[in-house]
Amino acid sequence: MNDYESQAILLAVFERLRKDLGLGIGELLAVYRAVAGGFGTEGPEALCEVARLLWCHAREAEEDFNAVFNEVVAQMTRHTPTTEPVKPEPPVDRPLSPPHEPPVPPVNIPPPAAPSPLMVEPAPLPVKTPMRPVQDITGPELRAYWPLSRRSMVYAWRYLRRTVKEGPRDVLNVAATVEQAARIGFFLCPVYDRRMQNKNHLVLLIDQGGSMVPFHRFTRDLEETARDGQKSQIQRVDLAYFQNVPPEHIFRDPHLMSPFPLKNLLAWIDPDTSVLVVSDAGAARGHRRNERIRATAEFLSQVKRRTTQLAWLNPMPQTRWAGTSAQFIARLVPMFQMDREGFGNAIVALRGQSQGRRG
Amino acid sequence: MTASPSFNLHEDYRPPSGRHPDAPKNPEPYVAAENLVTAVNLAIFLQRPLLLEGEAGCGKSRLARHVAHQLGLPLYEWPVRSTSRAQDGLYTYDSILRLHDVHLKQANKPGLFGAKSALPGKATTGRNPEKPMDYVNYGALGEAFRLQECPAVVLIDEIDKADIDFPNDLLTVLEEPWKFEITQADDDTPPIIAKHPPIVIITSNKEKGNLPEPFLRRCVYFYIEFPADKERLKDIIKAHYSIKKSGEAITPPTDELTDAACERFLAIRNKGDLHKKPGTSEFLDWLKAMSSFGKLSGLSGEAKLPYPELLFKIHADWDRYAAKP
Repeated sequence: MNDYESQAILLAVFERLRKDLGLGIGELLAVYRAVAGGFGTEGPEALCEVARLLWCHAREAEEDFNAVFNEVVAQMTRHTPTTEPVKPEPPVDRPLSPPHEPPVPPVNIPPPAAPSPLMVEPAPLPVKTPMRPVQDITGPELRAYWPLSRRSMVYAWRYLRRTVKEGPRDVLNVAATVEQAARIGFFLCPVYDRRMQNKNHLVLLIDQGGSMVPFHRFTRDLEETARDGQKSQIQRVDLAYFQNVPPEHIFRDPHLMSPFPLKNLLAWIDPDTSVLVVSDAGAARGHRRNERIRATAEFLSQVKRRTTQLAWLNPMPQTRWAGTSAQFIARLVPMFQMDREGFGNAIVALRGQSQGRRG
Repeated sequence: MTASPSFNLHEDYRPPSGRHPDAPKNPEPYVAAENLVTAVNLAIFLQRPLLLEGEAGCGKSRLARHVAHQLGLPLYEWPVRSTSRAQDGLYTYDSILRLHDVHLKQANKPGLFGAKSALPGKATTGRNPEKPMDYVNYGALGEAFRLQECPAVVLIDEIDKADIDFPNDLLTVLEEPWKFEITQADDDTPPIIAKHPPIVIITSNKEKGNLPEPFLRRCVYFYIEFPADKERLKDIIKAHYSIKKSGEAITPPTDELTDAACERFLAIRNKGDLHKKPGTSEFLDWLKAMSSFGKLSGLSGEAKLPYPELLFKIHADWDRYAAKP
């Protein structure tokens, strides 16, 4: 395998996987450099190994990587060795608009040419929607659907801080000590400071069950990252669960088994508390129910009496809010969609810094 | 050790005498799979860090020692803790000691606060508070950067234990132009530039989630698998017993015992109902116990395992295999 050929293969694989694996040009050049240095020149398998070592950073991705690589190699070898770098084949031409055959009313269908005696019984003919060619959804892109990674959650939580100097003076302030020694002319004693403490309090209200089932993975991540105090650096996190509308029932556990009164929850909230509600607000199913809106508004007004640091995280994208209860609730509370930017904005709202509203 | 594939270091980078005096003296009993050797060579060639993942006890950290010994390069280990900062790997600065030295010097001077009270003889040995560089303690990476003759092997052990920003902070140091500055130094002190970029081996076991993407992108990634077949396991056993540890005479286990132990161990491991699978190191301990304490009956079939306390560390696993009557 000459250099040129391997470069063409690598380029094709790179083009296909660049986004999924998060690669930059530097990584492509690194493999080129490795190939020039004599790595992976024994054959496609060795080349695949070298590229995989540099490009794959999780064991789970290796399988996909191998598949794509082999596919590309197969494509290249099918083309008899030309000097052209082989481009990925144009996609199989898929009909832009699927042939819409107007569903023919059953009455117009002439009876089958030879009606067998068994088919005399008239039955309603099923009306079928025209077949749409389904796009390939087994690609690695879909498997990696992860609008908000744990990592970005942890980062965002960190911005929710409220540092206060507190506790005994036990942190040595070197600069102040040196400064004091210089001012007095001799070293008297070290200068100590109080430790900076994060005095933030988060109340996390999570909609559980029902239309939120597909998002449980994310709400669970949210909850875990928030509660891991070492990472999120939130001093106190109170969790409560509800289904659909907060004031009806509030539960202590995600299985909605141990209810407790709303006024207990409200008692936790003081002006320094941040309250984050995670719910689709009816956007997942596309409902608009007045009682839901009214009940939610009532709950929100109760919370707003106690703190202004309030935000709503909606796992449904903003484009799906229109016409649902979510659209109305978003007028009452800063509501954000659950992606990196939305979550970041929600954190800003939770710090009480933004009056910005969405929706 | 295995004579087959070996690690490649360009001639220009080899230590002048063949082995650096600080290189690990004792060979590390290690059997590196062929593709692992490729990964190491690739990391050396491209001067990128090698990120190792794998089950606990599969020899992630030991690889660094093995590489250092094979290539005759010094090894600097940096065990990362939850409080580690990226800066610590380069250097730490002892401001307190400097302050202390200034104080001592002044106290020894005749004058306002005469030397009467000062303890004589407690001079600042070899340190001069006017020279800021006297108070720098280099970390593993710092030492490796300062090595002149040859590159060093740096092991950054369990990187995932540190704070989430830790890997990102490391990034700027672990690439061209391979240099760092000591902020406390005088203005005319040049930054420390690595003459030979070190061979960086990083281990992680994903205890606390994934590493950041920009960091991963720059690494050569390798997942160390548990040796799934008996032959590999036997090679490892052979490697371990072929190296004589000083002052410790170990008789290798008999072939019969080795065979039976490998078989039983792999059978249990591959059954897939363990909560925590025992790793290579546990297996070796177990084998050693059986070979030196005398084998108890029951290595074959469904009988009770000898010395289960070496293999099962979780109550549920214990109940399943060890608590059998």
